Amino acid sequence: MTAHDMPKAPVIAEVRDLRVQFDSKRGNVHAVDGVGFQIRDGEMLGLVGETGCGKSVTGRAFLNLIPRPPAKIAGGRVLFRPRGGAPCPDCAGEGCEACGRTGTETVDLLTLPPKPMRAIRGARIAMIFQDPGKALNPTLTIGAQLAEVFLQHRSEALLAEAGVSPEETGWQANALRRMAREEDRWLDRRLKGLPPLSSAAAKLDAALDAHVAAALAETQIPNPARVMRAYPHELSGGMRQRVMIAQALACDPDLIIADEPTTALDVTIQARILDLIKTLQRKRRTSVLYISHDLSLVRRVCDRVAVMYAGRIAEIGTVAQVFADPRHPYTQGLIAAVPRAGTGRGHLASIPGSVPELVDPPPGCRFADRCAHVMAECTRANPVAREVAPGHQSVCFLEKTGQTAAPATSEASTT
Amino acid sequence: MAMTDPILSESAAKVRLRRQGEVLRSLMTNPTTALGMIIIILLLGMAIFAPYLMPPNIPDPYQMPRDWGATRMPPGTPGHPLGTTNQGGDVLYGVVWGSRSSLQMSLIVVSVTVVIGVVIGSIAGIVGGWIDEALMRVVDIFLSIPELIFALAVAAILGPSFTNIILSLCIVFWVKYARIMRAQIILIRQSDYVQAARVMGDSRFNIFRRDILPNASTPIAVQATLDMGNIVLVGATLSFIGLSESGIAEWGVLVSEGQAGIASGRWWASTFPGLMIFLWALAFNLVGDGLRDALDPRTEGKR
Amino acid sequence: MMQQRLSEKSAQRKAGDTLLSVRNLCKHFPIREGILQSTVGHVRAVDGVSFDIRRGETVGLVGESGCGKTTLSQCVAGLTTPTSGEILFDTGRGGPLGQEDRIDAMPRDRYRTYRRNTQMVFQDNFASLNPRELVIDCIGRPLRVYNEASGSELTERVVELLEQVGLGRQHLYRYPHQFSGGQRQRISIARALALDPELIVLDEPTSALDVSVQAQILNLLWDLQKHRHLAYLFVTHDLSVVRHMADRTVTMYLGRVVEQGPTETIFGNAAHPYTKALLAAKPDLDDDPSVPIATLEGVVPDPARPPKGCRFHTRCPVATPDCGWEVDDIVRLLEADETLFQSLQGVARKTDLEAGLTFADETAAAALHAALGSDRVPLAMRTATETLDLNGKTVNIRFRETEEVSLTDRGEGHQAACVLGRGGQ
Repeated sequence: MTAHDMPKAPVIAEVRDLRVQFDSKRGNVHAVDGVGFQIRDGEMLGLVGETGCGKSVTGRAFLNLIPRPPAKIAGGRVLFRPRGGAPCPDCAGEGCEACGRTGTETVDLLTLPPKPMRAIRGARIAMIFQDPGKALNPTLTIGAQLAEVFLQHRSEALLAEAGVSPEETGWQANALRRMAREEDRWLDRRLKGLPPLSSAAAKLDAALDAHVAAALAETQIPNPARVMRAYPHELSGGMRQRVMIAQALACDPDLIIADEPTTALDVTIQARILDLIKTLQRKRRTSVLYISHDLSLVRRVCDRVAVMYAGRIAEIGTVAQVFADPRHPYTQGLIAAVPRAGTGRGHLASIPGSVPELVDPPPGCRFADRCAHVMAECTRANPVAREVAPGHQSVCFLEKTGQTAAPATSEASTT
Repeated sequence: MAMTDPILSESAAKVRLRRQGEVLRSLMTNPTTALGMIIIILLLGMAIFAPYLMPPNIPDPYQMPRDWGATRMPPGTPGHPLGTTNQGGDVLYGVVWGSRSSLQMSLIVVSVTVVIGVVIGSIAGIVGGWIDEALMRVVDIFLSIPELIFALAVAAILGPSFTNIILSLCIVFWVKYARIMRAQIILIRQSDYVQAARVMGDSRFNIFRRDILPNASTPIAVQATLDMGNIVLVGATLSFIGLSESGIAEWGVLVSEGQAGIASGRWWASTFPGLMIFLWALAFNLVGDGLRDALDPRTEGKR
Repeated sequence: MMQQRLSEKSAQRKAGDTLLSVRNLCKHFPIREGILQSTVGHVRAVDGVSFDIRRGETVGLVGESGCGKTTLSQCVAGLTTPTSGEILFDTGRGGPLGQEDRIDAMPRDRYRTYRRNTQMVFQDNFASLNPRELVIDCIGRPLRVYNEASGSELTERVVELLEQVGLGRQHLYRYPHQFSGGQRQRISIARALALDPELIVLDEPTSALDVSVQAQILNLLWDLQKHRHLAYLFVTHDLSVVRHMADRTVTMYLGRVVEQGPTETIFGNAAHPYTKALLAAKPDLDDDPSVPIATLEGVVPDPARPPKGCRFHTRCPVATPDCGWEVDDIVRLLEADETLFQSLQGVARKTDLEAGLTFADETAAAALHAALGSDRVPLAMRTATETLDLNGKTVNIRFRETEEVSLTDRGEGHQAACVLGRGGQ
């Protein structure tokens, strides 16, 4: 990725040449193969592609949630610059190229030790999963699950609200600190209800409840007090997804990875959840990596979009650029395959063939055998990203030769 | 053209055979399963070729031979490589012929219990209603008592003999199959492929034969393999506490009769048969676990 | 042989004739509770649905989860026995469809005709194929059931079917797991085609597939329909797919049909607010991205006690006083407000429209009384209130009588169940 000359928001996260491989009986599956993109502060980047294109794996790399083994990181870096992190050593917080003009130190999420990773997870980077029914613990109430986030990342604020100052010492203050950090011992729990501790503990619980209720209320959940006491199965799918969003937003993260957050929901509920995510994202200037297979949805909610195919980025640009002027033949095919208001009835333009197997693939463009514009070099070498307009890149040999894949071909097959 | 077409020379039978080969191969690629398979093959070989390995005792080969001239001999004694028992029985003879007893016991019990369990489970799952309720309550009662204690009680009532041990094991071990079969029927009956078969108008019998039975057989086969080991373990325990005839070539009986000597340093009479019981149970458990993974058509071919 | 069979069939077939007719169909599932499994209520999954499917046409059935579209499609496919109402199928008896054509009252041979002429394709392409059956056995199975073919003839017929769905001879001896999702769905379609049916029920056939594969499958279904004069009942939640595939569209909400008509009319000029809300909620590649997505408030009410009148009135943005406001609407309001709900002691219901709600204390009763007169409830509901008085701990309320909301004609083959625009207003 080259730096653009347009004035841009700081780059808070960046994936560089990420390669993830899975061991299989038949060989190495190159699930993610040299993916790179940047996420700017406050933007919503859509990552679209079909099943198995590696979009979810890429998203999970941000939280180190790729199961290793069977997966292994064969290369690349996932860089992140949390707001309020240590100043960048190169420019002392001024903002330079090395830190993507954020002024904060860059951390590589793939090599981060477990402890600082835990501090980032949930607090600085949060994740919204596709199936809220599976992502919530069925044995805990909604309130208890949300409380956990605050206990993990907001214990100082909780203690302050409970009236425990940082200087205070003595066993009572220490016991409360342990409670606020979810490190309470057996004895603490026994003493919690007894006079010297009970009033402060009650304050702590009240502060916690207030935080949880506020987080739920922000996602427009009606009657947060009742939802807090409910178990996940007692809520509808849309409501569970709201709880997931409340959980993700609880600690005001810099980056949210949303992995198909509305796929399991009905259209009318999907519309409300999208509306909610968009509103909250604008309000808080959170960056969002929005992973989805639904092109029309990404077009509606995202600022920029990256199209993935078979473990690689095919095209990246602003939503307007990619949808108005798709350059990569795959993007063109994908857009043409979606039934829409304007297309007549009858045949849809479909991409012939199917997704290639990614077991030890040979060099060359992964789309070559399905592409209508395939040339000799397509199967010889890997295509590289070419800038077709400021901020709009297509990873295709057609761009080098100056030709443009004529989108007219998809219309030709429509009739 | 038809002659040269490789696909025409293909047949359903060949493909099924190849798939069985694949299952076997994937079993052998897992090292622990392969180890289990090797042990099982060796044990089965021992059972089958027992008359050639150790000349049978006349008249009843399942009775331990008595060499009163060489009692309590340690391992390594000429003619008795694993030593002899208090009664002068050759431990090696017991180990070899004991594998026959164990094989008989586990094969009889597994085949009888699988048939009983599948039939009862199928009746419960297919008929449903109060018959299902009644059968499943009986199953619950059976399952609430630990296998070993239940088998012990039954065997004690029937009286001490090897046949009665087999009988008691049959009474105890069918319940799991009934429960698995019923659960599978209820699960598979709701599946889309059964719905599809109903839409095409296929008969209930055909749906049972072609959809339910083949798909339910996987967990049954896994359980049966695990039980091949467990049955010998429980059977040996029953023999050990004296519910079998004394003096027969059976590992549990040998362990039982040899254990008195351990305190006086004669470890061999019970250690070798004990080791065999251990190997037998271990091997079938290893293979059963491997089978669970290998037989699942969804995991196979993927990943 | 195939050709001959086809031509025989097409001689009987007249495009535009009603092939299947659903009349006032209900399917209620009992809710059982307790040790004795006594029935405490019914989930009214399908509650009085009528529509026709004509030969050679595609009827799109849309609605959100829980609207009863899957239950309805299972009734049509003969997988579920309806609680009441009837399904009529034209088995070539001649004459207009009547009581003799009820699929549950047909003689055996004509039921067999229905059975083999109505096939189904499921959403989950993996679960709908027996994992232990080879493709040849799977697709050949319906032919075996009806003793149509065996041996090498069967093989050839299966190959023919495979080729029609874009697969080939090389796929005969494979297991379902060796195929991709799109290919498995093709196998399902080939199996459904084996008996050369007249109607295929497609239950979300492309929902589990990727966009490019979906396009392939939709094209295949389109071609097959053209070549074989098939009728489709296309059940889906995806409006853009329905718009693309369906000749006529039926919209369902909470077990009822709220609107039906030609697809262009439904998409261009929807009459029912629910259909409008569905259309507005679905982003399309052709719409203006700067216009915010329209959202629909509220939750779908419990199908065990659906709202009176128009079932959509609890969430309808344009509800009128005539939409069927009732006592249950107050109960739903109370359920959302915990403090009031907890102090509710009893509901003395005289009719669905009149009741007295007794609270533990007078303040709660007063609070409810105040809420019912304020903008916390929709204006339409307030207008529909005939009497509302506070008597100590009891709030008495009566709503006005309204007509039942049923489907009324809105134009050429277009019907909607909405108070607005009813009777040409």
